[in-house]
Amino acid sequence: MVESKSISARIGRIVIHTIVITLGLICLLPLWNIVATSFSSSEAVTANAVGLIPVNFTTETYKMIMEDAQFWRSFGISVQRVFLSLIINMVLIVLMAYPLSKSTRVFKGRNIYMNLLIFSMLFSGGMIPTYLVVKNLNLLNTIWSLVLPGAVQVFSVILIMNFFIGVPKSLEEAAIMDGANPLQILVKVFIPISLPALATVALFSIVGNWNDFFSGLIYMTKVSNYPLMTYIQSLSINIEEMLKSGANANSLENMMEVSNKNLNAAKIVVSIIPLLVIYPLLQKYFIHGIVVGSVKE
Amino acid sequence: MKRFRTLCKRMTILSMASMLSFSLAACVDSSSPQESASTTEDGKTVITMGRVTAANPKLPEGDTYENNAYTRLVDEKLDVKIVNQFEAEGEDYDRQVALAIASGELPDMMRVNSKEELKELVENDLIADLTDVYKERASDNIKEIYDSYGGRSLADATFDDRLMAIPATNGANAPNMVWIRQDWIDKLGLELDKDGDSLITLEELENTAKAFIENDPGASGNPVGIPFAHWLNAGDYGGSALTMSSVAGVFNAHPRHYIEDENGNITYGSTTEGTKKALGVLADLFDKGIIDPQFGTRTWDDIMALLTNGQTGIVTGPWHIPDWGLSAVREMDKNAEFVAYTLEGDNGKANVFRENPTGSFIVVRKDYAHPELAIKILNLFYDELGNATDLETDYPEIAKYNELSVDGSTRPFNIEVYKSTSTLDDFSDLILPAVNGETSIEDITKAGIKNDAKTILEYIENPENAETSAWAKYHSRMKGIGLIEKLTTEDTFNWTTPVYYGTTATMEKKGANLLKLEEEDFIKIVTGTEPLDYFDTFVSKWKKQGGDEILAEIEAELAEQQ
Amino acid sequence: MKVQTAKTASWTNAKTRKQEKKWNTANSVYHLMMLPGMIFLLIFSYIPMFGIIMAFQDYIPAKGMLGSEFVGLEHFIYMFQLPDIGQVFRNTMVIAFGKILLGTFGAIIFSILLNEIRLKFLKKSIQTVVYLPHFLSWVVLAAVVVNMFSLDGIVNQILSFFGLENLNFLGSNSLFQPLLIGTDVWKEFGFNSIVYLAAITAVDPGLHEAASIDGANWWKRVWHITLPSMLPIILLLAILSLPNILNAGFDQVYNLYTPMVYETGDILDTYVYRIGLLGREYSFGTAVGIFKSIIGMILIISANEMAKKYTDRKLF
Repeated sequence: MVESKSISARIGRIVIHTIVITLGLICLLPLWNIVATSFSSSEAVTANAVGLIPVNFTTETYKMIMEDAQFWRSFGISVQRVFLSLIINMVLIVLMAYPLSKSTRVFKGRNIYMNLLIFSMLFSGGMIPTYLVVKNLNLLNTIWSLVLPGAVQVFSVILIMNFFIGVPKSLEEAAIMDGANPLQILVKVFIPISLPALATVALFSIVGNWNDFFSGLIYMTKVSNYPLMTYIQSLSINIEEMLKSGANANSLENMMEVSNKNLNAAKIVVSIIPLLVIYPLLQKYFIHGIVVGSVKE
Repeated sequence: MKRFRTLCKRMTILSMASMLSFSLAACVDSSSPQESASTTEDGKTVITMGRVTAANPKLPEGDTYENNAYTRLVDEKLDVKIVNQFEAEGEDYDRQVALAIASGELPDMMRVNSKEELKELVENDLIADLTDVYKERASDNIKEIYDSYGGRSLADATFDDRLMAIPATNGANAPNMVWIRQDWIDKLGLELDKDGDSLITLEELENTAKAFIENDPGASGNPVGIPFAHWLNAGDYGGSALTMSSVAGVFNAHPRHYIEDENGNITYGSTTEGTKKALGVLADLFDKGIIDPQFGTRTWDDIMALLTNGQTGIVTGPWHIPDWGLSAVREMDKNAEFVAYTLEGDNGKANVFRENPTGSFIVVRKDYAHPELAIKILNLFYDELGNATDLETDYPEIAKYNELSVDGSTRPFNIEVYKSTSTLDDFSDLILPAVNGETSIEDITKAGIKNDAKTILEYIENPENAETSAWAKYHSRMKGIGLIEKLTTEDTFNWTTPVYYGTTATMEKKGANLLKLEEEDFIKIVTGTEPLDYFDTFVSKWKKQGGDEILAEIEAELAEQQ
Repeated sequence: MKVQTAKTASWTNAKTRKQEKKWNTANSVYHLMMLPGMIFLLIFSYIPMFGIIMAFQDYIPAKGMLGSEFVGLEHFIYMFQLPDIGQVFRNTMVIAFGKILLGTFGAIIFSILLNEIRLKFLKKSIQTVVYLPHFLSWVVLAAVVVNMFSLDGIVNQILSFFGLENLNFLGSNSLFQPLLIGTDVWKEFGFNSIVYLAAITAVDPGLHEAASIDGANWWKRVWHITLPSMLPIILLLAILSLPNILNAGFDQVYNLYTPMVYETGDILDTYVYRIGLLGREYSFGTAVGIFKSIIGMILIISANEMAKKYTDRKLF
């Protein structure tokens, strides 16, 4: 963009920077608070004394995590799940988005597929029937029970389909002239030009799979098979719900031992680190995204 | 027989699979868990189980829910191998049970957490009749335990005169207590409970709270009075921390319980005159600033912070609240000490309700070849182990578990089976004499109780430096159960036994709505958004929106039982 | 550009026959490409849909879907007869609509502003930071929100500092909905802006340069170049978020509300959840889910038709 030298433009720049930086800080606060909590003593946390600076600084929590075998087992399961899901999701997304980006004239039956996709996004049979299917496929307690039910990401397919529609026709036609078949066109023309969008849906896939805890609760019948977020979820106990619906001395005592808030905060911090590592890797695609040419019809 | 069963199962799976479509049927593997032989290769009987776990079982390295000292004991004594079909806790467990039922593959034995679920299993003929095996195999001690509930416990698991489940027992009959900072009382030179009957009046409570607010003995700079939970009433005694239960008790009212009124009619405790009076008291206290001005939006964590920061020194709760709640206060303040009282009723008594004698049940899958094993496990854990006199010698591994305080959920059945008065008996017969030096701790035969007594003595000998856990045990036992013991000996209790603990059809449909109404209106009355007479509007709304139907259903169900 | 289009057209005509054959083979390749995804969809989406019949039954797990009693539309009728259902629907829609509207605006404005930051390091860091709250569950964030907005929390301390009256955000029926919407926008705007940023990078910088040379100021360039080029993606995401009009965010509300704000804070999902806690009401839950889906379907289809009518572009 051309540098604008006027004073008003300069003021505008300062205002924009201020707003954006302020927003950044506001978003950083809760995580900062959680990091501070993870480095504080549990008494200080119970007394609600931790703000943005750790109180009674300790690294005990992180030592405990290092020794928590289940934490790392679950961590590994989550990594595996994210990796498998990413591959399957991305392959299916581009495979489906490309034909769907064609008009019905070119791809007969396109609308039927589209309606089936939309319908499946809106309606679901619910927990029990899906469980029965997964169980009858003998997928319970396997990594596939976490991967396969979410293989088709309809939202992402529609998103990429729309990016594909925006790809200049001339590029495709040129490839056809060169004698490329649809698969080659997809791989050589569409995918390279849609990298920012593909990086976006890849991020959705990674984040969605990493964060999902519910399927772990249903399809894994043993804690040792839980993915990380399910494991963390199983440790965050809602004492209020417990008291309201009835409790006894033993269960309350056991729960209080678990509700180790500084330790749980540390677990959250560690669980976010992979996402912090992944993000910058994908970020470069949507900041220096390959620019779609100006050729428009 | 076994062939026939296998065939049946294949048929079920096949029909389900064909329902799912042919594409799936091809994928169904016939070696699902129930298909596998019910014995291991070395001839041990296999029991598949649904296990209720705890988040922090404290199992020693290498041990699991499936393989620990308790399951090894079962293996050794009964020649049985336990295989877990699923493990989960809380709501997640209930979901796994529902999924197991829906998929038609029940584990051989599992816990069900509600009477409604049990009823469903019975009505659909999915679980085994345990009447005979209980009669023939249950040990005398086990029978004695159940008899101590006067038949109420077994009756809960009995349908058409057949015992369909092993009920867990729940003998938590105690008053909701007011826990007050003793060190603050001393500091301010307040005088409470002058007549020494361990009952204090509402006026005494108010004055103490007022003194705490005015003098700020916790030096917090921002004292807040008495905090209450925004739900005001809980479903049972165990969950009664921060509720108005003790204030309601003053007027012999028991909100959230179905009771018989003086005319023999069934009423809902939350709609009685007594509850209205109690709400009136709370509204008055709120108005005067004696109750936390932020009542209604405080979360549990907020209130714990108030306590640990020294902003408040008065909470209501059950006898065991020091073990899991108040202990945080001591972590922050070495000098913190609490005393427990019960509010004196307007009849001069401590008015309390009796708890549901049964919480959960153990059921055995219909057609399971060895239902007697359920009773054998029951005998082993709740009689043999429970009454073992020399754990160290006879069961060294279990003794080690006790030392490590491994959670009870690691036992095959995660239930409690003890006499209705056992908490109190253990205290007055074993702990108290030992603490008073009348008997030796070493003479205590029950391992858990022995531990308790030891810890309490540790605290008494050196209160300053004792561990927080010792502080907690001391308070929950000596102050909490001590109070129950005293009130029992002095015959201060006035018991109310609710007539119904279950869930009727209308409750399932309209209960959530009625509870919303109740919670909303009670808060409005206490915070003064609505005047006290609004209570009458609440009662008529409650009745109209389904309350009357519920009461009629209960009446019909009770009439049927008689 | 016009010349090029004409050229393309003539090329198409000349090659029609050869092309025809190509399209036919292409057509079957397209079907093949759809196949793997459709198989997954069939197995994990369409087969489980037989569960929808639960909504018309009194489903009891032990009886199964074949054995449970059929009750017709009873659950749907029951839903509309619940005493507070009107209030609950109103709350749900107000909260959900507020979140969709402000969330979309917030993310668009932020992505445009961020795009103006030229220091690469700063831009990247801020982008990473704003996406963080998305990863914190409401169970965790609720504690932070309660601390900030309680009567002695930081927000009220700031209000006091400026001599303003303290506000009981968590206990006031007029402030609770704005609190829910505001905190949700705060949590999600960074993550939502990712798609918009991807769309902005697709804008040709040449257009901006040309406009600058023509003397268009920043505001005009945003209005005439950036926004129009983002419009398709904005419309698409807006339409795709419409089915959520009855999903007001269970986790957030559940972790923040108290009986004091049931009047404006109780939403469909929390209400259904509380009903489910008492009885294991699978059927009722399914019925409510279907109702939500049907509303969602009506909205998404009519929005798509509208988009076609006014922008001449269908989104799916």
